[in-house]
Amino acid sequence: MRDSGDERLDLLFTAARAARMDTSVLEEHFETRLMARLRDRTREGIPWYALMWRMVPVFTVLVALIAAYSISYKPLSSGDLFAAISSGQEEYLAQNVLTGE
Amino acid sequence: MTVTSVPEQPSDESLISATLAGDEGAFSLLVTRYKRRIFGLAARFARDSEEVEDICQEVFIKAFENLAAFRHDAPFEHWLTRIAVRASHDALRRRRREKGQSGFDDYVFEVRDYAGEARHEARLARELLKWALLRLKEEERVVITLLELEGYSVREISSLTGWSESNVKVRAHRARKVLKRVLEENDERQR
Repeated sequence: MRDSGDERLDLLFTAARAARMDTSVLEEHFETRLMARLRDRTREGIPWYALMWRMVPVFTVLVALIAAYSISYKPLSSGDLFAAISSGQEEYLAQNVLTGE
Repeated sequence: MTVTSVPEQPSDESLISATLAGDEGAFSLLVTRYKRRIFGLAARFARDSEEVEDICQEVFIKAFENLAAFRHDAPFEHWLTRIAVRASHDALRRRRREKGQSGFDDYVFEVRDYAGEARHEARLARELLKWALLRLKEEERVVITLLELEGYSVREISSLTGWSESNVKVRAHRARKVLKRVLEENDERQR
């Protein structure tokens, strides 16, 4: 439902739409100023924090790959019965020697 | 009879390729081609001519640095306008802290002279709207400016801002509501 407020607003929009700011003076030699700034930026090189941001996707992929690998990794079960029994025994023995048991 | 041939303007695509190959002059030509459009848009959001220059520099620097990411699936102008809308939105957000809540009478006319400024009433109307727009949230101001002053459709605004069409509609509706309230309050204050 349109009211007098809407009509007033539309009039204001019409007035503002018709009035484009004259930017011709600002536009003069803009290319020169811009290219000079771009050359400065190129000379300065990419700041380290920008590089860090650019490396974020690489780090993300790396972390995802490591996570996927660690979840899916299962050590091969050995068919050797003695190896299966004695696995972990070295640590147990070493603990006993150190604690004097 | 001699026929003078008009030199053909290089296409955006060829200028982009040349820029990516290291031809600075090609990028300069692209800037010349689109600077009027970008300055006009930035002027809708900037508070003064310095800010217009800042926004435009930011837009073309971002365009230059990300040119390799331009995928040619939309016109270059559209891609550039998207960067300009984002830069203008950023400028509005940066200014958020400085935003005062003064009345229209205290509002300092910082806008530069328009071409052929003729009628006082029309000028006052534009200033009143500019003052009222300061009361909006940044997102609402972006939407209502693009919709009502720049003449973009809801779909185009959605594409330029990355907001959904329903989101754009809601923001436009809210903006109109706030603007109407602000103008009414100003009228009451003036009485």
